[in-house]
Amino acid sequence: MLNEDRIKLMTSIGMFEKREGQKIFPVYRFFKSDYIGRHMLRSFLGYTFCWLLGTALAVLYKAEDFLSSLNFNDIAGCGRMYLGAYLMGLAAYLLITYVVYWRRYEYASRGMKVYVAKLKRLEKRYEMQSKNGQGGRKA
Amino acid sequence: MMALLEFREKLRSFYGKYDAVLVPIIKFVVSAASFWMLNSNVGYMEKLKNPAVWLMLSAVCSFLPYGVISFLAGAILIGHISSVSLEMALILTVFLVMVAVLYYGFQPGDSYLLLLTPLFFQFRIPYVIPLLAGLSGGLASVVPASFGVFIYYIIQYVKQNAGVLTNDAGLDITQKYVQIINNMINNNLMLVMIAAFIIGILTVYLIRTLSVDYAWHMAIVAGALVQLVVIFVGDFLFDVSVPMVELLIGVIIAMLVAAVYNFFIFAVDYSRTEYIQFEDDDYCYYVKAVPKITVSAPDVKVQKINSTRSRRREL
Repeated sequence: MLNEDRIKLMTSIGMFEKREGQKIFPVYRFFKSDYIGRHMLRSFLGYTFCWLLGTALAVLYKAEDFLSSLNFNDIAGCGRMYLGAYLMGLAAYLLITYVVYWRRYEYASRGMKVYVAKLKRLEKRYEMQSKNGQGGRKA
Repeated sequence: MMALLEFREKLRSFYGKYDAVLVPIIKFVVSAASFWMLNSNVGYMEKLKNPAVWLMLSAVCSFLPYGVISFLAGAILIGHISSVSLEMALILTVFLVMVAVLYYGFQPGDSYLLLLTPLFFQFRIPYVIPLLAGLSGGLASVVPASFGVFIYYIIQYVKQNAGVLTNDAGLDITQKYVQIINNMINNNLMLVMIAAFIIGILTVYLIRTLSVDYAWHMAIVAGALVQLVVIFVGDFLFDVSVPMVELLIGVIIAMLVAAVYNFFIFAVDYSRTEYIQFEDDDYCYYVKAVPKITVSAPDVKVQKINSTRSRRREL
């Protein structure tokens, strides 16, 4: 016999999984430090790659100036400036990455608690059903 | 008002019933419009300009996420531009890759703004974007909206300078790069529009999240006014030319579109606001509850009784 309460609960769990599953389950496979660290490493690599691309464009843009005045001091000064910009930009970008993924992990933890609570309720329904014998709840 | 609310409920139930069909149709329309816009402005590669190609591609895009559609649109744009100038295509590729890695690495889910911003510029109603992005999104929406403005002005630059970009054999490669980057960076109109978009989105978002009555309405009006002010200031300081009539009509249309969005998404009745105060072990709560305006969609059933009567007469 169909148990209406259980069906409602299972539907609600199914809907929750569908809507929030992607934001919760892939995140919750990791410890918080691993999850954030993994994304910070990715951000570091991504930022460095983009900085290299940007620097290549900047070198092309400034190539004529460099070639017209082949002054080592100017080139070294420019290099120091680009390196400083890289380090400052990297620090800011890693900070943003940390905040974004820290918040995502917190969101996933809260979602996981809700999900586990729903599962526990479902488990209790099953226990009640097995105590009352076949046929579901008894009023 | 009642009729409008009923219409809204009908529309909601219609969307709920047929969303599996409507979402692909919307994606098809957005991607087809984007590809058409690219082809009509910078359609220099004949193969991509073929309607069969971009319509087929739009049909495929119906089932893809907006991030992938944006990627395809970017690839088409680079394809067209590479037919005119490889240097320009290279610079644009670098910019696109940088935005894709640095911003879309976070998977923010707002890449539709990248497609819609150039599209709304094409339809002469770009001022809609800051209002809708501020109402529906977060502060991070400034990134895709601003980059959308950048893409639009790159398209315009290539469209207006296609001849120069193609016939610059006299220049060496570094001179070409310097010329292109200078023209891209020193486009004051683009910078003013980016500033208007950023300030518009921030204003709308900050006012919309205030705990005051009619916050959404105030946000729409303030967002529109702020955009006007930034453009006027830009006009005054940088001598950019924005057609005044087009600007005013665009802003009015933007406000109307935002009002329609507000009606469908956030229609509340401030006259029935309730204030509740309670506390638990850790906090005191001051809750302001504003009821949503809802009506049930009329469910008209017509029962025909004539047939029964006629049957009785026959008997």
